[in-house]
Amino acid sequence: MNIILVGLSHKTAPLEMRERLAFGESLLSDALARLIDKELLDEGLIVSTCNRVELIASTPSGADQGLDCLADFLSDFHHLPPNTLNGHVYKHADASAIKHLFRVASSLDSMIVGESQILGQVKEAYQHAIDAGTIGRVLSQLMHRTLSVAKRIRTETGVAQNPVSVSSVAVELAKKIFQDLSDKTVLLVGAGEMGELAARSLIDAGAKKLIVTNRSADRAEEIAKKYSGGAVDFESFYSVLPSADIVLCSTGAPEHVIRRAETQRALKPRKKGPVLFIDISVPRNIDPGVADLENAFLFDVDDLDSVVQTNIRERQTEAARAESIIDFEVQNFVQQLRALDIGPSVIEVKELLSQIVTSEFRRNRKRLGDLSPEQETAIENVLIPALVNKLSHPMIVHLRNAASDGKPAQTVDDLRKMIRID
Amino acid sequence: MEILWIIVLLGYAVCVAQSIFALTTKRPVMRKTALVALALALGAHTSWLVIRGIRTGRCPLVGTQEMCAFLSWGLVLSTLIAYRWYHATALKAFIFPIVLVLAAIAAISPDAADQTQEFSNTLQSFLLPAHVGLLLLAYASFFVSFGAGVMYIIQERELKHKRFGTIFYRLPSLDTCDAISSRSMAIGFVFMTLGIVGGLWYSYSRYHIYWQAGPLEIFSVVTWLLYLIIIQSRINAGWGGRAAALASILSFIIVICSLVGVHYLGHAF
Repeated sequence: MNIILVGLSHKTAPLEMRERLAFGESLLSDALARLIDKELLDEGLIVSTCNRVELIASTPSGADQGLDCLADFLSDFHHLPPNTLNGHVYKHADASAIKHLFRVASSLDSMIVGESQILGQVKEAYQHAIDAGTIGRVLSQLMHRTLSVAKRIRTETGVAQNPVSVSSVAVELAKKIFQDLSDKTVLLVGAGEMGELAARSLIDAGAKKLIVTNRSADRAEEIAKKYSGGAVDFESFYSVLPSADIVLCSTGAPEHVIRRAETQRALKPRKKGPVLFIDISVPRNIDPGVADLENAFLFDVDDLDSVVQTNIRERQTEAARAESIIDFEVQNFVQQLRALDIGPSVIEVKELLSQIVTSEFRRNRKRLGDLSPEQETAIENVLIPALVNKLSHPMIVHLRNAASDGKPAQTVDDLRKMIRID
Repeated sequence: MEILWIIVLLGYAVCVAQSIFALTTKRPVMRKTALVALALALGAHTSWLVIRGIRTGRCPLVGTQEMCAFLSWGLVLSTLIAYRWYHATALKAFIFPIVLVLAAIAAISPDAADQTQEFSNTLQSFLLPAHVGLLLLAYASFFVSFGAGVMYIIQERELKHKRFGTIFYRLPSLDTCDAISSRSMAIGFVFMTLGIVGGLWYSYSRYHIYWQAGPLEIFSVVTWLLYLIIIQSRINAGWGGRAAALASILSFIIVICSLVGVHYLGHAF
């Protein structure tokens, strides 16, 4: 039994190709059914996202053949000439396939290391395959382990801990000041795209209310409406400043829009504790002097970006730790898989021994003389199973040892010959 | 030293080391060990107080040893309650060193188990321990408020200077620090009010006079007024942020300084 994987990702194929090879939700069940139709493949699973397509399968008839079969399926299904994929797809078998899948699910292979979407997508892909009935003994074990490894990596390492986009850093800073944003008001000064994006992250993080102000009032109204907030006149936004807890500034103005003296005056009646100013405009729109006001915290683009950079470096160091966890888990799983491989052989051996002993008992039944029905049942239900267990034990131990050495096939064959299964 | 104190000190020492270490390293380490150590230490600590109470037949609130033991126990309890409410693990790093010091003082103080208190009626035997116990719990709460105030000031500095290091990530948000500080101050204030009322009542029941104008009494009332003003400003004037954090730090420092002062003054009388 081999586990094989064929795929392509943002690292190996351009977006155009990934688009052509994607399996949309509507195609998925059909694709899974057709995948398993191939004689060479027992079980199959397809992970398809905007950044990658991965086909995972288990095959009883050798990894190389299976891999070719998977690659052919990928191009055939999408009606592409067979050689188009050359150089863009990667093929992995057994330990290497398991490792790749663990890395993908743990988001170590993602464009942004540690992003959390991929795990959900892998889970979904697994669910689809279960629904399509293409998951069996091997892939179900593999997927369970994959999900638990991904979870372990998320909790034991810091790969997913620190935010790596300007908007999410802004949210993190807001949470370091306010903890709970559900009673906080955001004032968005300037209704540009970046500003809206940051405001949306804050709303998504729970902020209660959005007030928008912009030189062109229409655009302010538009955004305010979108997030069920309010719009105020650009000339008089200082009047709403005291009610804001987070002030997001992103205008195209070449000078300071939020000035120190006015801000100080505006904040005087406010007694609610800290105010967070986030300036994502270049050149800066908030007077740096605002940072010196009591209970005011000011961060500009460079500050946010420096946090992003630190967090990216942090994630990279953590990724190295994650890799060693993955290596360990791959080794573990390969062992488990080998044990799984001998499972059917163990049952086979036991059944055969049981047949031999039972038929010998029946054949010689007369020579055993008078036996009460109780005695007879005891022989069949107690003595025979005990004998089978005793006899099969050394064989099973032998099989297990062979499996952990990585050579179970030969041993199974030898055993089969010894007790004449074939 | 009794075996119970050895368990208490070792347990709290592990907690102090772990909490300070956790504050300065990115990855939480030895969390389970510290939890077990804390459970053992708190168990031993509580047992000591209970055994002491049973052996002496009175509340264990007499003499330096018992007072330190009770105060440190109250501090651990308030920290745990603050943790339950706000999940602020960092608070331990600010409170537990003092817990350890107080527990150590209790452990090495001369045993005063034979100290007895004479009461002329049962009301007095209830009022005096209630008065002392409530005041100690009030100080414990004020200390938690102080610790949270210190966390606020540190976190504020990190934010103002844009230093996003380990401490920044380990400390709770400004709002959480503020909430712990104000809530524990309010709780401390309730304990203090009840404690003072208990004291006045005790004084009346024993000496038939409510107010003796001794240094300790004047000090208590001044402290009570100080906290009343801070809490009143917080509630009515919506006072918060840096000023409130500084107030909880300064008021506690004033309380401790005057407590020490009164102690020596009291001896001088």
